[in-house]
Amino acid sequence: MRASLFITCYNDTLFPEAGHAVVRLLERLGVELDFLPAQTCCGQMHANTGFRPEAFSQAKRFVQLYRDVECVVIPSSSCVAMIRDQYPGLFEELGNEELRTQFAILLPRVYELSEFLIDKLGVEDVGAYFPHRVTYHASCHGLRGLHVGDRPFRLLSKVRGMELVPLANLERCCGFGGTFSVKNAEVSSAMLDAKLGDVLATRAEYCTALDNSCLMHLGGALHRRNESLRTIHIAGILASTEEHPHEAAR
Amino acid sequence: MTASSSRQAILDRIRTATRGDANRYETLPHNYIHRGSLDAGSRIRLMTERLREYGAEVVEASLANLPALIVHQLQSSGRRHFVVPPGLPKEWLGAGLDWKLDNNLSHDEIEHCGGVVTAASAGIADSGTIVLHHGADEGRRVITLLPDFHLCILRARQIVETLPEYFARLQQPPRLATYISGPSATADIEMTRIKGVHGPRFLSVTIVRDDG
Amino acid sequence: MTAPVMDPRVAPPFPEAALHILQNAELRKNVAHATDVIQAKRNHLVAEKTDWQELRTSASSIRAHVLANLTSFLEEFEAKCTAAGGVVHWAADGAEANVIILGILREESATEVIKIKTMTSAEIQLNPALEAAGIETTETDLAELILQLGNDEPSHIVVPALHVNRRQVREIFAQRMGLPELSDDPQALTSAARSYLRKKFLSVPTAICGANFLVAETGSVAIVESEGNGRMCLTLPRTLIALVGIEKVVPRFSDLEVFLQVLARSATGERMNPYTSLWSGVTPGDGPQRFHVVLLDNGRSEILARRVERQTLKCIRCAACLNTCPVYRQTGGHAYGSVYAGPIGAILTPQLQHMQHAQSLPYASSLCAACYEVCPVKINIPEVLIELRAQVVNQERAHMARWSDPMYVGMKAANFAFASAWRFRWAQRMGRIGLRLFTRKDGWIHRLPSLGARWTMSRDLRGLPEQTFREWWGARGRSGSREAK
Repeated sequence: MRASLFITCYNDTLFPEAGHAVVRLLERLGVELDFLPAQTCCGQMHANTGFRPEAFSQAKRFVQLYRDVECVVIPSSSCVAMIRDQYPGLFEELGNEELRTQFAILLPRVYELSEFLIDKLGVEDVGAYFPHRVTYHASCHGLRGLHVGDRPFRLLSKVRGMELVPLANLERCCGFGGTFSVKNAEVSSAMLDAKLGDVLATRAEYCTALDNSCLMHLGGALHRRNESLRTIHIAGILASTEEHPHEAAR
Repeated sequence: MTASSSRQAILDRIRTATRGDANRYETLPHNYIHRGSLDAGSRIRLMTERLREYGAEVVEASLANLPALIVHQLQSSGRRHFVVPPGLPKEWLGAGLDWKLDNNLSHDEIEHCGGVVTAASAGIADSGTIVLHHGADEGRRVITLLPDFHLCILRARQIVETLPEYFARLQQPPRLATYISGPSATADIEMTRIKGVHGPRFLSVTIVRDDG
Repeated sequence: MTAPVMDPRVAPPFPEAALHILQNAELRKNVAHATDVIQAKRNHLVAEKTDWQELRTSASSIRAHVLANLTSFLEEFEAKCTAAGGVVHWAADGAEANVIILGILREESATEVIKIKTMTSAEIQLNPALEAAGIETTETDLAELILQLGNDEPSHIVVPALHVNRRQVREIFAQRMGLPELSDDPQALTSAARSYLRKKFLSVPTAICGANFLVAETGSVAIVESEGNGRMCLTLPRTLIALVGIEKVVPRFSDLEVFLQVLARSATGERMNPYTSLWSGVTPGDGPQRFHVVLLDNGRSEILARRVERQTLKCIRCAACLNTCPVYRQTGGHAYGSVYAGPIGAILTPQLQHMQHAQSLPYASSLCAACYEVCPVKINIPEVLIELRAQVVNQERAHMARWSDPMYVGMKAANFAFASAWRFRWAQRMGRIGLRLFTRKDGWIHRLPSLGARWTMSRDLRGLPEQTFREWWGARGRSGSREAK
């Protein structure tokens, strides 16, 4: 099985450890992973803020870059949602016939990480070991955009040593919303406050999710409040084994 | 702009906006539940349950004991003066009660009545809805609006399970209709449900089983 | 009680309005409680309704069909309503609607009107126009009465006074109804309103209402309500005027079997609301003998013309989107500066203003899509929000001032960086170096300047790692480590 990793612009820059974990995990599962260095961004930030032509230029670059790959794995549900939900409209409006065809061929080959594991590799037990109390937050794009459903739970439930604690108001948005976190910082912070209340009430050691965007927002506030609860991308949990356990950095 | 030119301007704008968009009504999907699956007895039970859930009183009667039961219901209601539509079956107007036939009564006269008795056009069991089409035995809309107590005589055969069944049964759409699915209520003050804002605060339904 | 301005032309931008409300803990508690209650009831009934998704599909497609064929449905409604004894008027905008309504009232020599709640009348600022013409108006919905007597504005489409608690209502009623001994028990307050309004119902000969649905096939009007004040206003007066947006048509009477099933469940979490009234024109001997319908455009035909935005007009005003919105939950309706609040308000209000006002509203969303999930007519609100954001940015592109907007500059710079791997790597390096200045010993950033300060107002940011992922990958010596453009 060969796959090409699209790390995403923000993971690349801010959360490379999620990428390390994805590589460790997928290679352990026998995937021959490559990384196309020409990659930059999927265009989501620009599309969602109203910069459509700019978003299109990034989308076009993405499609042309991955033209010939077997499949693309992306450890970010919001980026995959961008590709599935918004690329069609962008290409319809601003693209040409050739691009639309390229995109149509590429689209079924794009996977969010939990989708790749469950649907493409057909595994639930990835051999992970993570002896901690963990709660899972359902990132909105994964939940409602991609309909990942119970895939994350199926993966997490097979992690040895881990206690998975349910999160109240699981489906309520954490308030990140991309540039919303800055353009409407006060409301974003109020939503964050509400979500943190639920997260802290689980008395978990870690909060995990499919997207580092949500976790950056939650983790930033947890650090601000000197809470011991930490955030970790789901890849970090799944990559952790008894031989090579995850090491908490701060 | 004059009245007719506004009309024309609006329609022109709409026409331009929707050019080439027409699709056929017949092709629209209607894959929701149309017919219910309950038998007659279960339908009555469901209707009764829903009515009671929202505080209506429900009593069953046969055609034979209906007039006596009506008298009994009204005597126990604690009200006096009952307005009735002119088309209400005469045999339902038992002796010893103060009936006011609605031959164009004034609002004040109706306001003076403590209760009203009517038939109905349909009952929808799923939501406990009483349907009035305001025909001769149901009366003008005002008589089921002003009095505080409404005794509604509903035939068992008028009860359907689902809302689509009600629509399917109609020979033609009613010109007037009132659908009653609860006492008037508000939750506007701190989301506390208060019943009986306007309209009758007491609904009593008598379900008549025609089979005796 | 303050009277926030609900005119989108002058309302403060959402972030500013929201900031003010976020400091009002009582209001936020009321909003959270109200929306939780309705949502829980709604979710329970939706779970029970095994054909819920099929109903949504039908509701959505019928509404879309109406919009695509709006000309013929409006003409059919007009013909049928007129044949049944109604008079149909057409108003291109709010000002014209007010003129038409005042004209009718003048013909009637009306000095007073009773009103059933209609958001459309607030949209066109009808009450101020009536008051300016010396016509006394009384709102008869309990919540609208509370707001009117309290000189306040609605904060929710279906439960407009949810931001007002019982003590506050008692104050208002005691003062305005002359009932100093009134208690704050909701039952007592409701009884007081019942008595106060009954006098009006039995004496005022002219009423103004809106409509939930216009039925083209029969020329009928349907109104869905809980309290009974609707029935009062539709039955007792001599003259009835209905003000209705042109989009509110349904093709056939039987289509109501779909909408009545989804509306009450979505709006108030009931299988059916207490009273639904339907009437066609004028019925001799029963109810108002003079009936007028004022069909209102006011920007709707423009929305209709736009491919992505047209779905905005499918709305049946259930407010399920408000009840589920995590943003609305924090701010309530006043922050939106418009009678239409929440997710639907964020897309409808700026469009009704021809995108000349309320441009902050499309950004008042984290794009979580909870609204789309509950919308009974499947309006893809996030899709419309993103489309409207593009329009707002396009407006900005035309002005030199955009270069002093840090968000605009930042987005252009980011786009420049994303255009090639070389530029992106360079930007990553520059970012790493620059942010070192703000990174503390523990490796975290506590405060940033400019736009960054909006992040750090409530969150820290972990300092940029010394090695990006791509640098790490390159150092592993795998294939693909060639420099690429």
